Amino acid sequence: MVDASLSQTILADRHLAYALLDARLRVVAVQGPADLLPPDSLGRSLFDLAPELIGLEPDIEAVLAGQRPRFTLDWVNRETPSGETIYVHLILLPFHLNGAANGQPNGLIHLVEDVTASGLLQQALTQHRNELRLLRDRLAQQNSQLAAANAELRQLDELKSRFVSIAAHELRSPLTAITGYLELLTDEQSDPLTAEQREYLHIIERGITRLLTIINNLLDLTRIEAGRIELALRPYNLAEMVAWVVEELRPTLVERGLKLTIQAPPDLPPTLCDVARAPQILSNLLSNAIKYSYPGGEIEIRLSHRAQEGFVQVAVADQGVGIPLADQPNLFTRFYRASTASHTGATGAGLGLYISRLLVELHGGQLWLDSEVGRGSTFYVTFHSS
Amino acid sequence: MKEISKKVCLLGDFAVGKTSLVRRFVLNIFEDRYLSTIGVKVSRKTVVTPGPGDLIELTLMLWDLAGSEEFDQVRASYLRGASGAVLVCDLTRPETLTSLLTYADDLLRVSPQATRLIVAANKLDLTDQRRISQDELERVATRLNAPLYLTSARTGDEVETLFRHFGQMLVGEGG
Repeated sequence: MVDASLSQTILADRHLAYALLDARLRVVAVQGPADLLPPDSLGRSLFDLAPELIGLEPDIEAVLAGQRPRFTLDWVNRETPSGETIYVHLILLPFHLNGAANGQPNGLIHLVEDVTASGLLQQALTQHRNELRLLRDRLAQQNSQLAAANAELRQLDELKSRFVSIAAHELRSPLTAITGYLELLTDEQSDPLTAEQREYLHIIERGITRLLTIINNLLDLTRIEAGRIELALRPYNLAEMVAWVVEELRPTLVERGLKLTIQAPPDLPPTLCDVARAPQILSNLLSNAIKYSYPGGEIEIRLSHRAQEGFVQVAVADQGVGIPLADQPNLFTRFYRASTASHTGATGAGLGLYISRLLVELHGGQLWLDSEVGRGSTFYVTFHSS
Repeated sequence: MKEISKKVCLLGDFAVGKTSLVRRFVLNIFEDRYLSTIGVKVSRKTVVTPGPGDLIELTLMLWDLAGSEEFDQVRASYLRGASGAVLVCDLTRPETLTSLLTYADDLLRVSPQATRLIVAANKLDLTDQRRISQDELERVATRLNAPLYLTSARTGDEVETLFRHFGQMLVGEGG
């Protein structure tokens, strides 16, 4: 009695139950927790206790015949009457019933080992792993869909760029003819013009200049974005370059009554820049300073050498309308115009600063600004010193 | 009426809906929550099916096996003594269809008598997420020499029909 109680305690502690089976696989003894092997199992068939073993008769017979030392079926899921899942290992061992120690076994020990604790951990781990796998697969699928959409968008973008490029070229050709005939008229070689006619032609000329600027900007934009612009960086005197640009824009400066000063140290080193594109950047910054200055205002161009960083810096400062802080982060993006842009009646497509930024980046330099509404703006651009 | 029981394995990648198909067939219930199976869960359901010359009371022992690759090693021990298998794939995950060929090979290696196979292309209800065509399904089913059913454990579509057809195959009719 003490022994039975002892083994019952040990079996309960180990979450283990066993049944002894005769050669007909009928239960002749049972011990252990009742939820693993019910005490009323006596006389019942092994397959009643463990229906999971149906179909495995050849393996069981092999154990009974002493041909196999054991048979196990691991991680068998069972449901308790309350609906909870428990996990058990089912084990069959050969056994000599009634003390017969020799010869072929005449019975089996059927062990039921409750491994629910580790089973639940294993289940949770598998669950997490599988959910991660599903997530990974879903992400991979979304990635490939995004990649396909991206490729399609890129194709559309290229198509758009090609269209803009062709349209701009087609627009420029008739403008060349218009400009030519306009020059013939303004030369007054065939007939003298009245003051009114001269004024009309001047308006047409300004319109053509604006159109040409927009077309050239569009062409530049498509070229830069398609990576079709290559710069030839050579050492140039940036102060001289600034002077050319100022001379080009002097008529507009005069027209708007603006005063311009240039400060350049005499020992400014040569800078590495493209002879066509660097003046374009400077011209754009100076044009903006002119456009957004109030009549009679002052513009200052300051050149300096930042020896430690290896840059030459150009600052173009005006006393114009200024740019609100909220607009500044978007100022160098395409087609963006600051909310104060129309204050001086200036027009534009919002491409100049974007193109300038791309060109500065191609030069390996930087472009940024300081600005305050009503007090003016200073644009800074750097080029590598040679 | 003659009574027989047959062991049938449900095989397929993880999360294709093997457990849900069994629960729909045996208990006529469906739970949306995905719960990974570890090891094996054996359920049974008795159906009456026409056999050669007479009706047969067939007890299907349905072995719902873990689909996760962590159980690849022990899976072989669960396949012993099977008469056939329901091969389950998920219509929203193409890779689960090609896996069926491997599962069938594994089964026949362990249990050469398990020649009866049937394919359940599950999750038919997820129409807008479906990524396996009828042609692809038929190609695999033909290679496996197995009838094909498009099922939904969620709605119950074709689940009963599939298992009843499989029952007939197991007793030698309708194969």
